[in-house]
Amino acid sequence: MPKERSKKHRRLQLLRIAVQAFFLGLFFYLLFGTHFTGEDYIGPVEAFFHFSPLLAAATMLAARTMIVFFGLAAVTVVVTLFLGRVVCGWVCPLGTIHQFFSWAFKKSKFLRPKKPAMGGLWIKYAILAFVLVAALFSLNVAGYFDPISFLTRVSATSLVPAASHGLQGVVGLVYAVKLEGLGDTLAQSAETLTLNSTFVQGFAIGLIFLVFLLLNKWRERFWCRTICPLGAMLGFFGRLNLFKLKIDEGKCTKCNLCAIHCPTQASPFPNDQWKSSECIYCETCAAICPTKAITFPVRFKHEKAPAVDFTRRRVMASSLLALFSVPFFRISKAGKRASEKLLRPPGSLPEPEFLRRCVKCGECMKACPTNGLQPVLAEAGPEGLWTPTLVPKIGYCEFYCSLCTQVCPTGAIKELTVPEKTTVKIGTAWINKNRCIPYFLGRPCIVCEEHCPVSPKAIKFTEVETVRPDGTIAVEKAPVIDVELCIGCGICENKCPVMDQPAIYVTSVGEDRSKENQLLLQIGE
Amino acid sequence: MNRRTFLKDAVLGSAALGAGSRLFGAFPASGQTAEPDLAVVQGESPAAITKAAIEALGGMGKFVGRGSVVLIKPNIGWDRTPEMAACTNPDIVKALVELSFEAGAKKVTVMDNTTNQAQRCYVRSGIQAAAKAAGADVPFINPRRIKKMAVGGAWLKDWDIIQDFVECDTLINVPIAKHHSLCRVTLGMKNWLGAIGDPRNQLHQKIDEASVDLAAFFKPKLVFLDAYRILTRNGPQGGRPSDTKLLKTVACGRDAAAVEAFGATLFDINPPELPLLKLALERKLGRIDLEKMNIAKRTV
Repeated sequence: MPKERSKKHRRLQLLRIAVQAFFLGLFFYLLFGTHFTGEDYIGPVEAFFHFSPLLAAATMLAARTMIVFFGLAAVTVVVTLFLGRVVCGWVCPLGTIHQFFSWAFKKSKFLRPKKPAMGGLWIKYAILAFVLVAALFSLNVAGYFDPISFLTRVSATSLVPAASHGLQGVVGLVYAVKLEGLGDTLAQSAETLTLNSTFVQGFAIGLIFLVFLLLNKWRERFWCRTICPLGAMLGFFGRLNLFKLKIDEGKCTKCNLCAIHCPTQASPFPNDQWKSSECIYCETCAAICPTKAITFPVRFKHEKAPAVDFTRRRVMASSLLALFSVPFFRISKAGKRASEKLLRPPGSLPEPEFLRRCVKCGECMKACPTNGLQPVLAEAGPEGLWTPTLVPKIGYCEFYCSLCTQVCPTGAIKELTVPEKTTVKIGTAWINKNRCIPYFLGRPCIVCEEHCPVSPKAIKFTEVETVRPDGTIAVEKAPVIDVELCIGCGICENKCPVMDQPAIYVTSVGEDRSKENQLLLQIGE
Repeated sequence: MNRRTFLKDAVLGSAALGAGSRLFGAFPASGQTAEPDLAVVQGESPAAITKAAIEALGGMGKFVGRGSVVLIKPNIGWDRTPEMAACTNPDIVKALVELSFEAGAKKVTVMDNTTNQAQRCYVRSGIQAAAKAAGADVPFINPRRIKKMAVGGAWLKDWDIIQDFVECDTLINVPIAKHHSLCRVTLGMKNWLGAIGDPRNQLHQKIDEASVDLAAFFKPKLVFLDAYRILTRNGPQGGRPSDTKLLKTVACGRDAAAVEAFGATLFDINPPELPLLKLALERKLGRIDLEKMNIAKRTV
């Protein structure tokens, strides 16, 4: 028996790596393109999301509505029906990152993953069942696990900010060695890319990502084989695909190399144990086989039930868990009264509908030109974790910008034209007269009035008399808010010279999207 | 500008100049006598009145030396399009860039420390595209080029200064005339708040003192006031074309106080009434007695 590896499958493997690199590049190209590029309207930078049948199913189930652009997810389903989980192996950018780290860990002596162990594969099916059953009861948790949503969130709130700070360090170094020209160029391109660098929870979200990266040391592509509910879903669709693994018994030396190196535990060897629902067609087994025994010929024959031990009992358990979990998500005060700090982006749907659609992906936070959109921790209740809120102290809502509404992949933020957006009220500004410079210190200021973008201005001024500490009386122009004109953009809070706790601040009351969270009666108008 | 439009402009311009000097016969024709204190030009085209105004002062060569580095400081503070009159007219900036290059400038930079997102302001004001088309560099503010400097003002002793504004041979201030609820109007001197670092908003507590101190510190060689379209209410950013008034005027000169005083009159303010101008006078920044000045007035 001549020992020779298959050149054809080696080439396929290289092609697969090239395709993976392409889609990873495309993903980050679109992500880095998600900012103000000089035009009011941005292209389909959120395209990846619409190809996820998991997000499509969970969001449409939870929102109880058809969402047209999720029709693209059918492409993924059809491809998977015929070709198996090629999307996992060849396209998914998060899968590519995990595969890269798995490979790197395997190459390094200290971080070599253990030999594949059986078991654990069912967890992702349980997560899938949980996500779908929860969606049935209008709780949308798909975004925490969907790979596109996961990677976008991590990138927007953690990787990009870290890269931005890193770049600043590099620029500093470049200036330190007197390469002024290069420093200027780097600083200018950083500014042009709008690398938002401040995220309240960026560190924690990055840490979670790091944990999953490190788990590749324990099991290759740990996320893909154990966690990913999208992979599980595609595993279902892909079971009956055309290309089935076949081991030529005559050539096979039973070396088990293929099974050891299978990154998703699809157990190519022995042949009858191969799980098409786990196979991502990475071509590793066929390329590594020392005797060219492994091929993927077209076969229509129905294979046996998949060997993943996702029993009916586990389906039931996971679904019941979801069923009984949903009420717990609703205990928080979020559903009772609006949170004053929850300033949803302009165009956001009313809170219950918003939560049903939002997949916490952070696209809006990447697009926000002022870095003001931040992931929520607790203000929106447990199901609102990592949903967006405007934090005016960090960044305000730019008056003529509607980017967040354009990039939202699920329509949780309704797409708005710029003229539409300028009329949307997301909250109302309030003055803390105990901190406001004219009111309390009797000195001129009016910075808030200067920055108010609406015309006529929502901040007027009045002359107030203030007793100074020395007993003299100062008369100064002090701000007064016209709540009917105020749109809650928060630029007043952002620019207020009282740095630590601005003397003018925005709360959510009066937001257009809510019927209850209102201030002024609009009876008969 | 192609040759045809240049020739057209040149012919029209010289005709208008002739007409202008006849109209304002009290003043001697330019080029033969002393440089006027102020040039005030009115006309349909922002570019043409800009060029005529500089011509009336004796040409850009008086301010820009051969091989020099020029920094033009328009107001690009707001994310507003030109018809809102919140930022300097882009055609005026472009004309000044062209004139600087014609006078032999080696490098012309146009920049401002904006209030709204810098990219939005640069793009939507039209200034980035216009200035780049004329060959200028239009960089964003680089935080690494901000350094604390001694301003040496009567009130403002030191502050963070953007180095580009001090590391140039010729500094040209190109404000736009706007309403401002704290200062009544914002013209050239307050424009310097766009050349400094944060927390500049705190300067509002003594805004006139700060503006005058900064004007004295930066000492531009030329102040060019854009009053083509002025903002008359909701300043300093407006928001509706109805907040603006079309005056089709520019005013320029070496004397920052004189240009400021002329700008005040556009809002029907008697210059000595402006606290800022009183301060400017006290600190000997220039003259505000418009009636005694040699003002070259033209219509193009």
